[in-house]
Amino acid sequence: MLRYIVRRLIFAVPTLLAVLTLVFLIVRVLPGDPAQAALGDYASEEAVTALRAKMGLDKSLAAQYMDFLVGLVRGDLGSSLITGKSVAEQIFFVLPYTLQLTAASVLVGIIFGVPLGIATALRRNSALDYFGRIFSLAGLSVPAFYLGILLLLVFSVRLNWFPVVGAGTRGDLGSILHHLVLPALTLGLIMTAYVVRMTRSAMLNILSEDYVRTARAKGLGERTVMVRHALRSAMIPIVSIVGIFAISLIGSSVMTEIVFSRPGLGKLMVGAMKQRDYTMLQSIMVIYALLIVFINLFVDLLYGLADPRVRFN
Amino acid sequence: MRKWLMLCALLSIIILAAACAAPADSGSDTASSSDTAAADGETSEGAVLRLGINAADLSSLDPHFASGTQDRTVVSMVFNGLVRYSPGDAPNIEPDLATAIPEPEATDDGKQVWTFELRQGVMCHAGPETEAYELTADDVVYSLQKSANPDRSAFAGEYDGMTVEKVDDYTVSITMDTPLSPVLFLPKIADYAGGFIVCSQAIEAVGDEAFKTHPVGTGPFMFESYTPQDRVVLTANPDYFRGAPKLAGVEGRYMPDISSRELGLRAGELDVIHGLDEAQWVDAISGEEGLAVDVFGVGEVATIYFNIDAEPFDKPEVRKAIAYALNRDAFLALFGPGIADNVYSPVPAQFMDGGLTKDDVDALDLEYAYDPEMARELLAEAGLADGFSFPVVSSEMNAYRKVYEAMQAQLAEVGIDMQVDVVDHSSMHSLIRDDANPVVVYVAFRPNADVYLTRFFHSDSIVVTGAKPDTNFSHYAAIDDLIDSARAETDEAAQIELWKEAQVQILEDMVAYPLMYQNQIYARSDKVDYGHPLNAIMNLNPQITEMTTIGQ
Amino acid sequence: MTTATLDANAQALQTISQRERMWRTFTQNKAAVVGLILVIIVALIALFAPVLAPHDPLRQDTFNRLAPPSSDYPLGQDDYGRDILSRTIYAARISLMVGILSVLAGGTIGTVIGIFAGYRGGATETFLMRVVDVLLAFPDLITGLLVLAVLGGGLFKMIIAIAIVISPRFARIAHGPTLALRERDHVLAARSIGVKEGRMLFRHILPNMLGELLVMASLWTASAIRIEANLSFIGLGVSPPTPTWGQMIRDGTVHLTTTPWFSIVPGIAVFVTVLAFNLLGDGLRDVLDPKLQN
Repeated sequence: MLRYIVRRLIFAVPTLLAVLTLVFLIVRVLPGDPAQAALGDYASEEAVTALRAKMGLDKSLAAQYMDFLVGLVRGDLGSSLITGKSVAEQIFFVLPYTLQLTAASVLVGIIFGVPLGIATALRRNSALDYFGRIFSLAGLSVPAFYLGILLLLVFSVRLNWFPVVGAGTRGDLGSILHHLVLPALTLGLIMTAYVVRMTRSAMLNILSEDYVRTARAKGLGERTVMVRHALRSAMIPIVSIVGIFAISLIGSSVMTEIVFSRPGLGKLMVGAMKQRDYTMLQSIMVIYALLIVFINLFVDLLYGLADPRVRFN
Repeated sequence: MRKWLMLCALLSIIILAAACAAPADSGSDTASSSDTAAADGETSEGAVLRLGINAADLSSLDPHFASGTQDRTVVSMVFNGLVRYSPGDAPNIEPDLATAIPEPEATDDGKQVWTFELRQGVMCHAGPETEAYELTADDVVYSLQKSANPDRSAFAGEYDGMTVEKVDDYTVSITMDTPLSPVLFLPKIADYAGGFIVCSQAIEAVGDEAFKTHPVGTGPFMFESYTPQDRVVLTANPDYFRGAPKLAGVEGRYMPDISSRELGLRAGELDVIHGLDEAQWVDAISGEEGLAVDVFGVGEVATIYFNIDAEPFDKPEVRKAIAYALNRDAFLALFGPGIADNVYSPVPAQFMDGGLTKDDVDALDLEYAYDPEMARELLAEAGLADGFSFPVVSSEMNAYRKVYEAMQAQLAEVGIDMQVDVVDHSSMHSLIRDDANPVVVYVAFRPNADVYLTRFFHSDSIVVTGAKPDTNFSHYAAIDDLIDSARAETDEAAQIELWKEAQVQILEDMVAYPLMYQNQIYARSDKVDYGHPLNAIMNLNPQITEMTTIGQ
Repeated sequence: MTTATLDANAQALQTISQRERMWRTFTQNKAAVVGLILVIIVALIALFAPVLAPHDPLRQDTFNRLAPPSSDYPLGQDDYGRDILSRTIYAARISLMVGILSVLAGGTIGTVIGIFAGYRGGATETFLMRVVDVLLAFPDLITGLLVLAVLGGGLFKMIIAIAIVISPRFARIAHGPTLALRERDHVLAARSIGVKEGRMLFRHILPNMLGELLVMASLWTASAIRIEANLSFIGLGVSPPTPTWGQMIRDGTVHLTTTPWFSIVPGIAVFVTVLAFNLLGDGLRDVLDPKLQN
């Protein structure tokens, strides 16, 4: 198992290298000029040229790439082309906000999604099944920004239960959790939609499996069958979808971050993209790719826990 | 089942751990206090004004790099200029750090000298590395020299040919190699762009990069903390030379989405927000109990530039045909009454000298009022009776997208097919500077007629091929002499005449079609009183000064 | 008659009865039938948009922008004064195209990669799944933004962008079960009697996950329509003046408090379409899943 993890991590190195080379090239292929973006359209031409040189954009592509790699090896993610602030500092500043939101949304998704999914599978074609499916489809069709604004309108402006602005006061746990509820619900409800469907589908699959039928035939109680066999096996596809969704969440939470004015990795990334902040974008992608490697590893390990037939070799 | 519970527990732990991970930041200890103060401190004394800023984050709070409205808003509260635009009433200028606006003196060698007396007892805020200290001529000289340095300022080009010298601690003389009229000179040293005076000791102590997120000036509010993507917190400067501010401070929240800003205002969590530039929105918010909306200038001007080197726009008939095909009123209706208004020359007559009014263009028959029949005739004259098609790129931003999309529909009426490709804002700025668009829509405010004309119509500014490529998208080179002689003219009346002449030429050649200007929209709690009228403001946002209050 | 023709006849009979059985399974599932009908209706609306739409979807009337529903404009007018009903009808074309084509392209490529990698194992698997990880490393929106920024905007570039977003997700979904299936008795048995590789993949592995994949596909059709909305929210969508539901929802959201119908109408259209595809997907899953057939 340990060997497996180590091997996976070693294999991750070329992946990371590929990601950052790709990002390095793509951002430079894009039209757009970070110096112009930083100085605005009123800036004088002299200033734009000076800044371009200061940013090192007049160097050759190969030289810029080498600078980037050498920096990385030294553990230096560089500094933002726009604000001049350390990239690492900014990323680690927003990371907790992103993790909070991601974990909370996944939690909401599991808490609502798994029981609802199981219930719909067990009572197939009942009213509950239809309700569950239509509810989850509603979640699938609504864009996060729309749902977020609706939730704000109802729970913040009308009912005044939750705050509208920001992510709460740092260091004050109550305030942070209070500010987290609506954004987590926004993403969580969308996630619920996925989880309900995957759970339902996985359960249906497993309920028709031989060993479940055997277990039933052996006269084991319905509860035991469910908990011992069905739920455990259903965990594989569910965890898989949860993992994939958690990955998309980290990047796609930008809409939720914008609507709820929360700091976050997604917003940092889109902002860097908009301003053509090359160093920032590259470094975020490195961090991001690292996160992905770990989440994927985690999911694959869970596969192993849930299904003894998968071997790590 | 146990495994599911473990998974949930694990996620909860991640949430709590992440919530507790308060990253180190200069403002983390103080940011909380202002939050609570604002929530229950509804008295006028000591209230913190909470401002919803239309941006995801700041870009630079060094005033010489602050180019977006989100940065100018903050910078204008922290810094002063030698002179300032009267709050809420640009382009009127009054003394700020200087005691009076001097008359220029001509020297024997044809130069011009402006001598400024400084106020005494003006205190620089305490910086991260420096104590509060009195601002002197040294700071003014340092600051204007910084503005002129392309490595340290985005506006360096404006300060060519300017020499700044210290006469004594409270006197500064500024020598211009070429004499300028006051209307061109004073904006350079006013509280806008490069004219802001920074505190030299503070910036020297921390360095230029750190100064961008910790500005130190002499203004009514002092920088206190900045939380990336979240907020910037300013506190009142009790030693402000015009008197201590009535507010306890200002908290700017970065909120790029209009709906969330609106909901924040409605929920009472914000006092002032950047609004939506549409009459329907203005009416809806004004109709709410306890809320008010201000619509004010200066307006950013949307102008359509034709590349006269690109076919078929090299034919004047085609350019004029497009001008006649466009319906100014239909564009205005996109924003609604009062939000946008017509302009008839590239320099907006409503906000500065040198522009043409409707009466002016009527007299010369240069209004190009909507006339689709005329448009078709002109197209036929140019041999394009069956119309033609051309591609353009538009920014994803509404100010551009809306104009392009409305224009597309109007041109379709006369058989012209304009294919609009939407790209991100930064891409558009690069592409149009690379001649990607034969027809460019550009929305901008510039401080005076000279800047408008020089940067959009002087041959040096021609994109790609100009000596100093800037924003002359039209490739126009016919009015260089008018622009140059107007700049050198020190008699204001004569100068204005030259500017008008230049614009008449532009309209006769129809290299640019002046479409409209858009006002600024800010909504507020009706308890907020800015302490000044809102007519025209260079920074495009209501100024928050020492006079601003939040009432009962 | 030779034995060969007899065999062929028997097989044909068997096929027919299998099809009949599948059709019966499908029609017994009321929800699936409703889904099918809805998909057909949406497709017909898209097909006959010019006949159905009461107005030209592109004609602007800015003087009546955001006008409330009236007898002439039953669903009101949008922010350019265009007819919301006609735009919603025409947008069905674009949204269906985006939803179906991007999932078809992305799903096929992804599935093939996933199954192939999982079945082959070894270096092939390592290599392919690392490539998938690289692609997965890019979040939806960033991939979308990057592809659109490099290619420029427009409908087909949008479809390519969404297909690129989707494919690695299918690869991962197809890869997991393949790992498990590889070790299953019937696959091992088939392999031991020397069944060819391609045949193996198509006869023994693909059918086992087809249900899962169809559910995924129907989910991602919905997501593709949503990604389009999200890209529009960031500002990069299909070129104007082409109407899409996503763009309409985005434009309408700004006016949510003043003119709610503007975003609700295309929102309902997306909901119905997503619902239709998913009900249909579920029905197909039940029909195609070999385990549920008996």
